[in-house]
Amino acid sequence: MRRALLYTLLTVASLVMVLPLLYMLSLSLQTEAETLSAEAVVWPESPQWGNYAELFARAPFGDFIVNSLVVAGGITLAHLLFDPLVGYVFAKFRFPLRNTLFVALLATLMVPFFVRMIPLYVLMAHLGWINTYQGLITPFLMDAFGIFLMRQFIQPIPDDLIHAARIDGASEFAIYRRIILPQTRPALAVLGLFTFVFQWNEFLWPLVATTTPEMRTIPVGLTLFNQEYFTLWHLTAAGSVILFVPTAVLFIVTQRYFVRGIALTGLR
Amino acid sequence: MSPALSRRDLLRLASAAAAVPLLNACAGAPPAPSAEPGTFTVYWNAGHDYQAYRKVIAEFEQAHQVKVNFQKYQWPDLRTRLLADFASGSVPDVVEEPGGWVQDFAISGNALSLQEYVDRDGRAMGFPSDWRPVTVERNSYQGQVYGVQLHLTCTLLLYNKGMLDAAGVEPPTTWEELLEAAGKLTKGDVYGIALNQDHGYAGPWLMQNGVRYYDPATKGVLVPHDAAVEAMRFQAELVHKHKVAPVPVSGTDYSGPQKLFSAKRAAMIITGPWDLGPIKQTSPDIEVGYAAPLKGREQATNAAGTSVFVPAKARRPDLSWDFVKRITALEVERAATKEVGMLMPRLSWAELPEVQADPGIKAFADALGMARDASQEIRLTGQFGRFDDELKKMYQSVLIQNEPAAAAVEKFAEAARGYLK
Amino acid sequence: MSVLRPRTLSARYARTAYLFLLPAILFFAAFFYLPIGNVVSTSLMTGPSADRFAGLGNYTQALADPAVRHSFLVTGGFALIVVAGSIVLGLGLAMALDQPLRGRVAFRVMLLVPYLTSVAIVGLLWRNILDPELGVLNRTLAALGLPEQQWLNTSPLLTIAAVTLWQSVGYTMVLFLAGLQGIPETFHEAAKIDGADAWHRFWRITLPLLAPTTLFVSVMAVISGLQAFGQAYIITNGGPGDATDLSVFHIFNVAFRARDFGYASAQSVLLLIVIVAFTLVQLRAGRRGEVQY
Repeated sequence: MRRALLYTLLTVASLVMVLPLLYMLSLSLQTEAETLSAEAVVWPESPQWGNYAELFARAPFGDFIVNSLVVAGGITLAHLLFDPLVGYVFAKFRFPLRNTLFVALLATLMVPFFVRMIPLYVLMAHLGWINTYQGLITPFLMDAFGIFLMRQFIQPIPDDLIHAARIDGASEFAIYRRIILPQTRPALAVLGLFTFVFQWNEFLWPLVATTTPEMRTIPVGLTLFNQEYFTLWHLTAAGSVILFVPTAVLFIVTQRYFVRGIALTGLR
Repeated sequence: MSPALSRRDLLRLASAAAAVPLLNACAGAPPAPSAEPGTFTVYWNAGHDYQAYRKVIAEFEQAHQVKVNFQKYQWPDLRTRLLADFASGSVPDVVEEPGGWVQDFAISGNALSLQEYVDRDGRAMGFPSDWRPVTVERNSYQGQVYGVQLHLTCTLLLYNKGMLDAAGVEPPTTWEELLEAAGKLTKGDVYGIALNQDHGYAGPWLMQNGVRYYDPATKGVLVPHDAAVEAMRFQAELVHKHKVAPVPVSGTDYSGPQKLFSAKRAAMIITGPWDLGPIKQTSPDIEVGYAAPLKGREQATNAAGTSVFVPAKARRPDLSWDFVKRITALEVERAATKEVGMLMPRLSWAELPEVQADPGIKAFADALGMARDASQEIRLTGQFGRFDDELKKMYQSVLIQNEPAAAAVEKFAEAARGYLK
Repeated sequence: MSVLRPRTLSARYARTAYLFLLPAILFFAAFFYLPIGNVVSTSLMTGPSADRFAGLGNYTQALADPAVRHSFLVTGGFALIVVAGSIVLGLGLAMALDQPLRGRVAFRVMLLVPYLTSVAIVGLLWRNILDPELGVLNRTLAALGLPEQQWLNTSPLLTIAAVTLWQSVGYTMVLFLAGLQGIPETFHEAAKIDGADAWHRFWRITLPLLAPTTLFVSVMAVISGLQAFGQAYIITNGGPGDATDLSVFHIFNVAFRARDFGYASAQSVLLLIVIVAFTLVQLRAGRRGEVQY
């Protein structure tokens, strides 16, 4: 009985959640006239698969995809490399100014990006990095979100494990790599997923930091399909479907790390 | 045993740190093109990428042996981008803007005065004599020209001919006639008229009632006050008292009334030429009628549309000016009108057979003569941003939230006294 | 080298810690603190190019500005709903989907879909659903003979908070799911043997052991809730009137539409102070709640 109720609730919730996906798919297959019609068209009369081809015909969409993959992928790898290490230090080391530094770190999340964007842009212009991959990637190599996340997941790891390893003569880096990292797989999966999703959809920085169409990422490239007073929703939606696929695949791949059992076997 | 780092760890860390510049070196993409001598950067609205302009660009590239980097953006994005450019000092060569930015940037010293070029080439290109005076005025600051109008649009009353005929209603010419017509046309789930959620659409009503946005002499806003209250109340009563118009919904686009019109749920809308395309596409069966701008105390509509300007720090102003000249030529205007039906600022454009032959374009072209730029005077104070923000609040609180017009206008004036000191 | 070698063990740990932190410190200094320092100095300037010194003028102006005060209030109300909602719903869904349930992978994927979908599409979707005249919801309600809604006009803040919750609940669910993996199964088994019921096990075991995750989720929820921007930007444009004029949306307009970077920077610094205060309170409470095992 309780189980049936749970299933019903989950099913209803899930249906409400997948609405935008279905709607996006439907929009991406509509004619321009259908997308403009006053009463939203639920499903197109004849699906326009050509919309997807039109994306590539109207703009260097292939370039957009490559740029997005390089930028979001590069940033995600950097986060997986840096964030756990810094999180580990904040979780397991005692050192002067630790709490102050930690709050200062969190404070970096509390200033809206667009406010510090212009000074950042000027800095990147001085470095000559505007319109380059390093200009798109470097400002986001690590962030307080990832560090805080890793700190919280490393904290519960028993200190005894670390002490034991030290007594065995393991170097500090080896402790981090051999003892700490393997136990944080669910957190690393979350970190990788969210960093990728966030960067994959990031708009403002790629907008200002690129100066040629060929360097745009997908979200910035999609604005090309807006007219002055209305949006070409069939093309925007087709682009958004393409934008959606990699993030969904990544989630399906990583979510197994949150399945009870698999994560625990990683411990042994 | 030592808690200190082993040498191997240090090496690992060092190599991780080194990976950053290495990554950068590998990723080596071309440097910013605006810094390249052979590149000429133009910022444009993504919706205005016409073949007519592509042709001009190709000719320009040919003539000057440069590569044009044609960057297309949405207006808010273009502005964000441009402000970042101003801060860094590396700017594009020519920029299209949606109206109002030219004076804004002239005041702040970010736009280049084109007066010297106008003095030299004005006669040959017909500037300012062939441009409607409003378009020259809204692009000037302290007696100098800073921008050239590219498109000139305005709003009109559009109506569904079938619906008006069926109800036996003549197209309204005054506010009273509009109210009467809207009343007769409102039946079931059909509204007589639909008003826009965007406060820009308040402009024509206010101007028709003789209201000025700002009077530099007295530093008053929305004067005369009573006329402003009356204009706001009239719009609000269409919605809340007479219920001949639906309550607008605050949002980010202007297409609400057009959608109701296309769905045959509204018989009349006040809009610009940009809505004609979507109406034709979604409801080809609607026969659209065009009424002249309404008459309150006077007949007026708002001047809108884009201009082109040159940033102050543009490195080759001569080249930029040549681009401006080419893109605003009469032949280019004619080609763009043929291509997409866009309305243009030249007086001689209005005489073209293409304009005269198309009833829609002609109706708008005729109204352009009464088009005025209501926000020009407030813009010159440099406080347009605050004014516009407060105007939006006032407009929506009256039209959507049904706040008494007198109180809302008073609150608006009170706020203005604060920021217009 | 030997001169530098720290004497005590704790000093050595500290040195290791700082060595590990060094790249991060350099990175954050260059790409965060330098620009943020610039924001603070800009907050003392005025003019469209923010090049005239104004002292604390922007701050006194902001503190007296009813529009700023209003935007902070709107933001507070919005954040309250979103923070509470996303923690309760996210945790609930995570608990439900942490069980051996048939189809749980599909449920998880579906619940995260709104978070993965483009914000522009989400905005369009909800405007099309909620439009009072042409929206799907009202057409359905009318067909069923039910009273129609005008939510975007009658309770706009609540509506965009609900849309935000709808979009972010999958994200908190994933965080809680990951957190639940860190709780050894043995704890639950032991409690079951002791005869504790599910309710008890939740309050006595799950919740305390989940404390680090909960702290993370709530700190991040407050940080992002107080900086919410997208829904106002995409769906309501801050309206009707100023009903959804969220603080960061307000600051964005001051910076980019009105071009008063000095004033916008001052408001950001004030917002920063507010968020730091909330975060410190949460961290302090969290430290008390943390359990070691």
